[in-house]
Formats: sequence, structure tokens, C-alpha cells
Amino acid sequence: MLISMGPQPGEERDAGREPGLQPGSEADERALVREAQQGSSAAMARLYARHWRPAYRAAYLVVHDAAAAEDIAQDAFLAAVDALDRFDRRRPFRPWLHRIVVNRALDWARREALRRKVDGVESVFEPLLPPEEIGGEMLTALKELPADQRAVVVLRHLLEYTPGEIARMLELPRGTVNSRLRRGLDRLRETAAAERVEEGRR
Amino acid sequence: MSAGELGRTLWDAPILEDPEAEERGRRIVAAAYAERQDRGPADSTPEAGRPGRRPMPRLALGLALATLLAGLLLTPAGAAVRDWVDNAFTSAPPPPEPTLARIPGGGRLLVQSGTGPWVVQPDGSRQLLGDYEEATWSPHGLFVAAVRKRRLSALEPDGSLRWSITAAARAATPRWSPSGERIAYRSGYELRTIAGDGSEDRLVAGPNAATSPALIAPAWSPHGDDALAYLTGNGRIRVVDGQSGAELAQAPALGDVTWIEWGAGGKEILEASRGFVRVRSVRGARPVLGHYQRLPIAKRATVVGAALAPRRPLVAVVLTHWKRHGTYSTVTVYGPEKRPRLLLTAPGSLGHDVTWSPDGRRLLVPWPGANQWLFLPLGRGQASAVADISRTFKVSFPRVEAWCCRR
Repeated sequence: MLISMGPQPGEERDAGREPGLQPGSEADERALVREAQQGSSAAMARLYARHWRPAYRAAYLVVHDAAAAEDIAQDAFLAAVDALDRFDRRRPFRPWLHRIVVNRALDWARREALRRKVDGVESVFEPLLPPEEIGGEMLTALKELPADQRAVVVLRHLLEYTPGEIARMLELPRGTVNSRLRRGLDRLRETAAAERVEEGRR
Repeated sequence: MSAGELGRTLWDAPILEDPEAEERGRRIVAAAYAERQDRGPADSTPEAGRPGRRPMPRLALGLALATLLAGLLLTPAGAAVRDWVDNAFTSAPPPPEPTLARIPGGGRLLVQSGTGPWVVQPDGSRQLLGDYEEATWSPHGLFVAAVRKRRLSALEPDGSLRWSITAAARAATPRWSPSGERIAYRSGYELRTIAGDGSEDRLVAGPNAATSPALIAPAWSPHGDDALAYLTGNGRIRVVDGQSGAELAQAPALGDVTWIEWGAGGKEILEASRGFVRVRSVRGARPVLGHYQRLPIAKRATVVGAALAPRRPLVAVVLTHWKRHGTYSTVTVYGPEKRPRLLLTAPGSLGHDVTWSPDGRRLLVPWPGANQWLFLPLGRGQASAVADISRTFKVSFPRVEAWCCRR
């Protein structure tokens, strides 16, 4: 396993961070979906290249397991291929894919929690990154959240969906999304505050 | 911490990622996309199967199948598929021979009918071994391990008894290790192994919830290192040392797995369920379970059987396709890139016990509905079929246990 440091300065972030897409890119994406539906493997390859990294990172931040995150991201793309003919081109592709990713990641996290309970295994998560890595403490804190709080935090702050969009993606009442977000962020803020205190002591 | 800071932290925080993951996924998605193209419009139109749609006439079905077969031959994906095996192509079952007069390609078969296990010689002659419920070859076909109720026995291929033990609970799914040293078997909620001479019967897994075996056969590592993979009752693939029971590796399995195999020269473990087939990579002397690839399976099809070739990274999959106008079955072989190649289309249902020849060049596909066995070559060579299989093995259509042995 290597550590992916995220995009480096000067490196293309593309669909990665996209607070929304770049202007015009949603139309571009519709064109890619249309071409993929018509049999263009190049268009399919571009959709994959555009969405792999955000899908993998979102899955990883919910499950904290590299192999599972890879499986989940792969499965989401296979589901996309499978449903390509039925896909309504008037709707954006990105939230549709992310909905699959996050729901599967949540399913995995719940199954894993149940398995740990049954097996009496303390944790099967991979070793955490050293806290001195950038954001390491934050990842640790994120991992400590319940899976359903992790999922809404990832959808809101990594993928930048609105609470209303998240509610539709997870089929939850909007109030539930808001309360999960609030609880999750409170915990993360506590961690950030503790981090600052710790830094002050050094 | 502002929302923007949190977003940046989530994007920039280092996460674990195999550098090959993206490329691996790209290949799998590209293969699935190519398979979608190959399936053609008959299977990929959005309206297919919707309520109110008129049943597809038989002629149209035939044309659709022909299009699909031609597609596999003529499209770039089909052409690429042809690269990994020769260009022989079977589209429909051949006319059957009336009796089993030889095993195409040689070797010996071990089959299980209602009367017990039979050994079939290369010339088609056969012998019933006795009143046993399941059987398995030793690695070179010198012996057979068989079970009946709580008894596990080792037999000569002519049926004479070498040794026998009585287990504490019902014995099932015997599997002889490639090294020849041990036989794995399930006894109640336990997975046990015993030396090939009937000594040193040992518990290797179970009966607690985390390690107890599911009701399917375990799979030995083909390397002869006595690593043994099995499915646990709680849905994990677990690899243990077949002597000591020490855990070597484990990973989550597919849901509702019906079959596992360890093949492709020891580099892959296959898991099959009714809806999916996937192969998981295995690395290293002390096995490490790596990533899996899910094979692209046609829509609205049920996985009936799957088999991993003994030494090559080829997977044969039998699918039943449920259509309004009736059922048909296909045999598909997936190559090293897990690209599908349609080998056979047959009306009705095929058997689950598709079996590779020891050299990985042929498939034996049982066809219970037609009371036939089909022998399908992957390279040059002619497909053949044998009729009247039930009568050959005294009344019931048999299950093929194994095809032995490469010499």
C-alpha cells in the first residue's frame, strides 16, 4: 500500500474537488454519458477517469479500509455500466454515482460493525496513518464517528452536496441529515480544538 | 474550523490507496463495458422485460442469439477474446453419441450418482465404488476418499477399502490436498483434516461462530503447501494451515456463496453465488488475499455453476437466462482479462457441475434436461456429446466430482 497524498500543487484536480463542476462541465458530462450510451468506449473511459478518485476517496472515508473502498468504487462503476441504457440523460451522472458509492459504503460499514460484534473482534480497520501526517488527527476523529454520521459529513464536506440532496441520496428526512451533520461536526470540531491546544503546547 | 477548512482537510488528508487500484478498476470497467456492447440490443434495451411488452417470438430470439454470437466473433472485443484461445467456436450442442465410449482428451472421471461414486476410465468403462455419498480423487488419482454418514474412507480406484474412520458427526465434502498428505472434510460444525494414511485426525476450524465452516466444500492451495481456504458460516473466506489450523488470511466473501475454488496456478480464488462470480487474487507463499474482480454477467441471468481452470486464469461460467418465452443456458469462458467468450448456447437448463479437464483445454458440461454430457474444447477440436447418461450410471443423472489426472 502506498499513501496517496491527494492532488499535488499543479496537479489536475478535475472532478476531484469540484464544488459543483466547472462551468459547462455538466453539459460536457451529459455528452459523455450520451456517447457512452451510444457505444463510445472512449467516453466511458473519460467518465471513469473523471470520477474514480472522488468515488474512491468518498468510499475510503466512510469505510477506512482500502480494499473495501476499491471494491465499493469498482462496484459503483459496474452498476453504472449495467444501468447505462436506462440512465436518464437529463439528470446529472455525478450524484447518481455518488449515491451508489455512499450507500454501498454504509452497507459495508454496518456489516463490518455487526461482524465485529458477533466475532468479538475489536477492530479490523487498517492501521491509522501517523497523526503527524496532514489531517491525520482529523481522519482519526472521522473514523471514530458512527458510519451514518461519517457518510453525511463526507457527502456534505468532501463532495459538497446540500443537506436536501443528501437527504434524497440516502432516502432520509432532511432533519435527520441535519442532526447527523451537526453531531458529526461537533465531534470533529472538538478534535480540531484539541489539536490546536496540542500545537500550542509544542 | 470552517466548512471550507474541513473540506480541504478531507481532500488533502493522506489515505491508503494501492497505486494500481485505479488501473485495475479501469480494466474491469472497460471489460464490463465491452461485454455490454457484445450483448447487443436484445439484452441491453431499456424496455426489455418491462410489463406489457409482447413476448419475443422464437424467430426473433434466434436472430438475437445469432447476433450475439456473431458479435462475439466480429466486434473488436470479440476479436480480442479470440486471442487468448484458438478460434474454435461452438454455438449449439453437437449431436450426441449414443453411449459413453471414451473420454475426449483422456483422463478419468469421478462421478456421483444415486447409487454411489463411479470411476470412468478413458475408454468409457466404469466401476461403481460402493455405497458412498460423496467422493474425491487423491492428487494423482491413485486413491479416492469417500464419505457415508459419519464414515470417511480411503479407497482404491477399484473400490477396495484402504482405511476408514468414524467421525464424531456426519462427514461431508472430502477434499484431498495436492501434496497428497492430508484430506480435509467437514464433520458437523467442524472443519478437520486427516493424514492420507488415516492417522492424525485434527480439528482445523470451528465450531465457534467466527470460524465454523459453511456447508460448501473447502479448497486446497494448488501449490501443495497445505494452505486450505474455506467459507465460514458468517460469510468470510478464511485461509488456514491445513495441518495446524493457524489462520493465514481472511477476507469478506460474496453473499450467499455456493461454491469456492482455488486454481489458476494458485493465484486466484473463485467465489460464486447465484447472482455473481468473482475471482480474488492470492499472493505470496504465506497467502495474502488481494483484490477481487467481479465477472461481468448478463442481465437477468442466474449463475448455475462456475469453475476455475486448474493452471490457467480461465473461468467457465454456466448461466441460465430466464425469458418470457422460455429458458436457455449459456457456457461462457472468461480469459485472463476476464473478458467473456460465449462457448455454448443450449435450450433449457445445464448442470451446475461444469468441470475442466486436467490440462484446462476442455470442459465437461452436464445437461440433465437432455440427459447428456457435453465435452467442449477451448482450442481446435470438435465438441462432442454423449446421450443417455442416467442409464449409464444406473437410473439417476450423476454429478461430476472431478476429472483426473494430468500426467
